[in-house]
Amino acid sequence: MPALLESLNPGWLLILAGVASLFIKMRQVRQVVTVVAPILGVLLLIFSVQNVTHASANVMGLDLILYRVDGLNFLFSLAFLIASLLNAIYALHTDDRIQDGAALAYAGAAVSATLAGDLMTLFVFWEVTAISSVFLILRARTRASYFAAMRYLGVQILSGVLLLNGIAYVLKSRGHLSLEAFTDLSEPGVMFIFLAFGIKAAFPLLHNWLQDAYPKATVVGSVVLSAFTTKLAVYALARMFPGQEHLIWIGATMTVFPVFFAVIENDLRKVLSYSINNQVGFMVCGVGIGTPLAINGVTAHAFADIFFKGLLMMSMGAVLYRTGTVKASELGGLHRSMPWTTVFCIIGAMSISAFPLFSAFVTKSIIISEVASAGYVAIFLMLMFASAGVLEHSGIKIPYYAFFGHDSGIRVKEAPFNMLLAMGVAAFICVFLGLPAITPNFGHGWLYNLLPYREEAIGYSHHHLFSWEHILTQMQLLILAIFAFVVLKRFHIYPPEKKGVILDSDWVYRKAGYGLVSWMGTVWQKAGPAMTAAFFGVTGKAYTWIEAAFSPRGELARGGLNGAMTVWTAVLLGIVLLLSFSAAG
Amino acid sequence: MSDETGSGRDTSGRFVKRAAEQVHNLHTPGADGIHPLAKILFGWTHRKGIANIIFWVLGALAVISIVADLAMKRHDYMSFANATGFYGIYGFLCFSFAVVMGWPLGRLLRRDENYYGDAGGPPEGVDPDAPLGGDAPAAHSAAEGDA
Repeated sequence: MPALLESLNPGWLLILAGVASLFIKMRQVRQVVTVVAPILGVLLLIFSVQNVTHASANVMGLDLILYRVDGLNFLFSLAFLIASLLNAIYALHTDDRIQDGAALAYAGAAVSATLAGDLMTLFVFWEVTAISSVFLILRARTRASYFAAMRYLGVQILSGVLLLNGIAYVLKSRGHLSLEAFTDLSEPGVMFIFLAFGIKAAFPLLHNWLQDAYPKATVVGSVVLSAFTTKLAVYALARMFPGQEHLIWIGATMTVFPVFFAVIENDLRKVLSYSINNQVGFMVCGVGIGTPLAINGVTAHAFADIFFKGLLMMSMGAVLYRTGTVKASELGGLHRSMPWTTVFCIIGAMSISAFPLFSAFVTKSIIISEVASAGYVAIFLMLMFASAGVLEHSGIKIPYYAFFGHDSGIRVKEAPFNMLLAMGVAAFICVFLGLPAITPNFGHGWLYNLLPYREEAIGYSHHHLFSWEHILTQMQLLILAIFAFVVLKRFHIYPPEKKGVILDSDWVYRKAGYGLVSWMGTVWQKAGPAMTAAFFGVTGKAYTWIEAAFSPRGELARGGLNGAMTVWTAVLLGIVLLLSFSAAG
Repeated sequence: MSDETGSGRDTSGRFVKRAAEQVHNLHTPGADGIHPLAKILFGWTHRKGIANIIFWVLGALAVISIVADLAMKRHDYMSFANATGFYGIYGFLCFSFAVVMGWPLGRLLRRDENYYGDAGGPPEGVDPDAPLGGDAPAAHSAAEGDA
């Protein structure tokens, strides 16, 4: 490959194409750009030589590595680029320059951040992902989406500020900004970086920007958003904090708590947003385990998740596009008019639920296996709970309430062809990744061969993956969990889908915080004039008193006191002089 | 539209073969709005008593999976996970627990849709023919807000 092309970061190509798309008015030309740029990006990436710095710079004394591919970031970047292509196809029915440009630039920033070789370059593209992605929420052009976008931007910028702060400390203590993993959270600045990554990964209590913003984005926007930010954070954690034990518990908590929210949530795009939390939890947990096989599991599961979650988001986007709603209480029976979308949604649901022959079966199991082999009993039980939970909300609830269940009577057209095409390709990837490796590069073998620790992955594949034991235990869990659904439905124990908003930790700032600020404003409005009057009253009285004492007409200016003042002043000066002399002597 | 001539032309003289016509019909919803493919793929879900059949088939599969477990020597890292039917029973209990918790949690956490301000309608760009959304800009009045 020519040197110029070798040094061209595929992420930069996407950002350039995204910026160009903002100015291309001809729809067809813009569509060609949005589809061709990711394809070229994939080609650039797969022909790049690994473990070589392809582009670097020295800025203000900082050595920046702008483009470097290795075993860990290759699969993340590849997934981002393929997702960007699918997103572009999915958006072909629209004519929105800003959305097209923002989607491409956002994907490009995620790729560039992943391929960065130092913390400062990572920070720059970290911020570009925040700024570019906010337009995908704003383009929904509702007031709700506007406010959600502002909250989203605030949280994302906070993540960037924390990261920059941490970088400054690290530069001072280490003297360099290379992506050398941190082993100690008490090292100066490291906690800031950990929190910055934690916000983007949506750690518990730092998570609500995701469920707040993603469901309010455009039809295309939520599909695009689901792919990049959280997985970029997973990559950053895997790069900088492998084996950090806190992450095991944080990740396990992330897998469990969204299950309860997803069960009662009515907005199906919000259910999928909780599902993102849940799946990222598995990855964070794997990073915490930190063994080569666990990092393989994290990478593989992130790759698979980008496509099965994208597929589920696409199917809900198609439903929203055709019906105008994704509320479970208003939907049902859509398989009658959207059979292709139904099939693709079911494939996504089976993939995320880890049915054998579907993608998560070959990816999530690596993480759970490593947790078990490390002897974390409670974590193992939490992850198994989360596996049953993900079957509930993403495996059953999403397809059941949208496409089956009670017939809403809604009859619409099937999704546009471009949406079906994007869903079809994503569905193919979900199935292909889950297939046995009949040849070394077929099915999951293709994915395992690209993992950062290939030998360990192949060993796992040979000894455990498609063993009867693994297939039986997984099927047992899934069959009995589905049976639980049928039993609960049959005996009317399953809670009905109801309209309403579910309170989460964002209540603290959206209601309590907002209420507190509003109350303080009201108090100030009412108490302000009284306080001002009291202030001027006190200062006025003080002025009058001082004037009465010190002004030329005041008490102290009268003749009787003038002599006394002179005497006292002379005495005080004499004392000061004596003290000065004695001190000097 | 049917091919009467046997030459691959339809009665209007156009090159529309019967296969193409069938494909076209397969993707054209009938007057009832139901997609023909839906009848082929999911017609079985409309059968009377299908809920009962699914219940019993799943129950049978559950039993079979546990019986098969009896015949298999497993080597789980966690010794308790080697117990027969552990994964199935644990999955059943976890699933049921998560769902049943939906009742108290729903009562505790569910609020009116406009709790944070007017929830509004769908985003801009949905199909203008969408039955529950329609023309997006009209669905969002100036009063819409979000605290």
